[in-house]
Formats: sequence, structure tokens, C-alpha cells
Amino acid sequence: MKTFSNIMLILIFAFLVSICIIEEFVVSNSLSQAMNDSLYIEKLLDEDNQLKSMTISLAVDDLEYHWIKNESKMCYLVNHKNIQEIGLEISKLKIYQKDDDLKEFEACLNAVKFYSQGYTHFMGASVHNVL
Amino acid sequence: MLTIVLRSIIIYLIVLFVFRIMGKRQLGQMQPFELVLTLIIADLATIPMAEVSVPVLHGIVPLFTLVILHFILTFFCKLSLKMSALISGKPVIVINPDGIDYKAMKKLNLTIDDIFEAMRGLGYFSLDQVEYAIMETNGKISILPKAESMPVTNDSMKIKVEPSALPITIISEGKIIKENLQLANFEEKNLFKFLTKNLNKTKLKDVLIMTVDFNGQVFLQTKKGKRQTFENARLK
Repeated sequence: MKTFSNIMLILIFAFLVSICIIEEFVVSNSLSQAMNDSLYIEKLLDEDNQLKSMTISLAVDDLEYHWIKNESKMCYLVNHKNIQEIGLEISKLKIYQKDDDLKEFEACLNAVKFYSQGYTHFMGASVHNVL
Repeated sequence: MLTIVLRSIIIYLIVLFVFRIMGKRQLGQMQPFELVLTLIIADLATIPMAEVSVPVLHGIVPLFTLVILHFILTFFCKLSLKMSALISGKPVIVINPDGIDYKAMKKLNLTIDDIFEAMRGLGYFSLDQVEYAIMETNGKISILPKAESMPVTNDSMKIKVEPSALPITIISEGKIIKENLQLANFEEKNLFKFLTKNLNKTKLKDVLIMTVDFNGQVFLQTKKGKRQTFENARLK
């Protein structure tokens, strides 16, 4: 029984350590990907002021695809309610692109960037978050 | 709803596992840090159960962290007496031969009623009967009665008695406990012979309880019958 408890304790400890590492890895990767995709769209927008261009459309699709893929992974690790804003902003982004509304599109893009940066700060391990 | 059902099952199994691994102490025997852990665990378990947006891991990770913390604290308690006193406290004498220790009573935040309640619970209704009362670290009060109030034992009367024999349950609610049968070194065929001889037409499933002790005394009761005792039953 004593050996069993010791083995279980080691396993639990290993589980906790691996969960912490996986969380850090998945969250930072997912958010940095969203950030990079948004920056890429911003760059494309600066180069070519046309919202309805094929390149921007593909970039927005990429942003959405990556986010959906990463969000499903993150749902195992973080509260779903805490990360849903990025998904909402990406959906709005697609609508404003269709409507060719540059101002709103830029506002949504900034929101995606803001949330990506904010979540990284909010979900990462830091003294602020611990206290 | 299915999500909540499945989450509840997962959390229940994990909490059960956590309590099993933490040991078999009952609520009343808990040290202060164990009680704190139990209360937190109970609260933690309900969050991912009811809130679907919260991942189950948010319940599991703190539970497991508390298990690790519990073992670390227990380890330190075993390692040093000072640490043990710091975490679990020390037993305190609240009644000594001079009477109630008022200072100790105030320090422990006890009232006279609490002491008398504990005394009455142990069968002592007067302070005259108590030599010492000690407040244990788990919150219970232990009492050492005065010599004249101590219950009479065979030892104090210098009476020689046979050693106590631990009864082993052989049949419980119609089911033979084979592990115990082996422990008592009994053969199953002899058990059936004994049952056929003593139970007339009663079937095995109608036996409520059958215990045997190492002196060979058998206690047998059927679900509808009265209890029977057999001395020196031959089941070997």
C-alpha cells in the first residue's frame, strides 16, 4: 500500500508538471499564432488598401482556421468563456470584409490583437496572476 | 445534460480516489490541516461539475495539488515533532488534579459547557470523577478518570480469563466470504455439512450472518430465524 501511494504520488506530481508545461505551451502558441495572423493581415492591409482582395480574404480564413483549431485544444485547459472574444471578433472580421467596411474591419483586427496580447498576460504564469 | 452527468461521474471518481489515497481517517479524527483540505476539496469538486465552460482539468489540477500538499505536510509532521506541533498543534491538559485549567481553557477558546459535554459523552458527570482531561489535536477531549471512578476490569479484579478471540465473518447476507474462510482455515465442504445439519431446509441465501472465532464458537442467524450459538464447531 505504501509503495502504491508513493507511485501514485509520483504519477500525480508528473501529471501536474506536464499539465502546467502543456498549458503554457498550448496557450502561448495559440495566442501568438492569432497575433501573428492578425499582424500579417494588418501588413497586407497596409500594402494594399483593398479589403476584398484575395490575399486578405485568404489571410482572414487562415486566422479563423487556426483559431478554431487552437481554441478546441485550449478548451481542455482554460475556461471557455475567457477565450471566446477572439472567436467573436474573427466572425465580425469576416462580415466587415464582405461588407467592405474598412474602419470596422480595422477595429476588429485591433480587438483580436488586443485580446491575443491580453490573454497571454492573463493566462501565463506570473506573479500578478498568482496574487 | 449528458455533459454534466459525465463530468459528475469523472469528478466523483477522482474525489473518491483522492480521499482513498489520503487515508481512512474519519471526520472527527482529522487534524486541522486535513479538515481544511477536505473542505476545499468538497468546494473544488462542484465547480467543474456544474459549470460546463470550466474544463474538468480546472477541478482535477487543484485536487491533485492538494493531495501533494497533504503528503508534504504529513511528511514534515512525521519528520519533526516541532513541525507537527506547528501544523497540527499539541494536546493540551484542560483538567488536572487541581481542577479546570482556566488559562488552557481560554487559550483553546473552550467553555465550561464544552468540557462538561465532552465529560458527559464519556460517561463522567462530575468533576470529582476526572483526574485529567486532555484536548487532543483533532479536537476531541480524552479523559483519565480518578482511580476510584475507573471501570472495574478483569485485570484489576485479578480474574483470569481466556484470551479474546476475533470473530471472522464467514457468511454475510447469503454470501460466503471465501477470503475469510481461508483465513479461518475452514473447508467449504465442511461448512456446507454444518449448515445442512443445523439449518434444516434453509438455503444459503437465507443466512443473514455466520461468524466463527478461533475458539471454535460459531454465531449463526438466518434472515427470518433467531440467533444460534455453537461451541467447538468442527469446520476444519
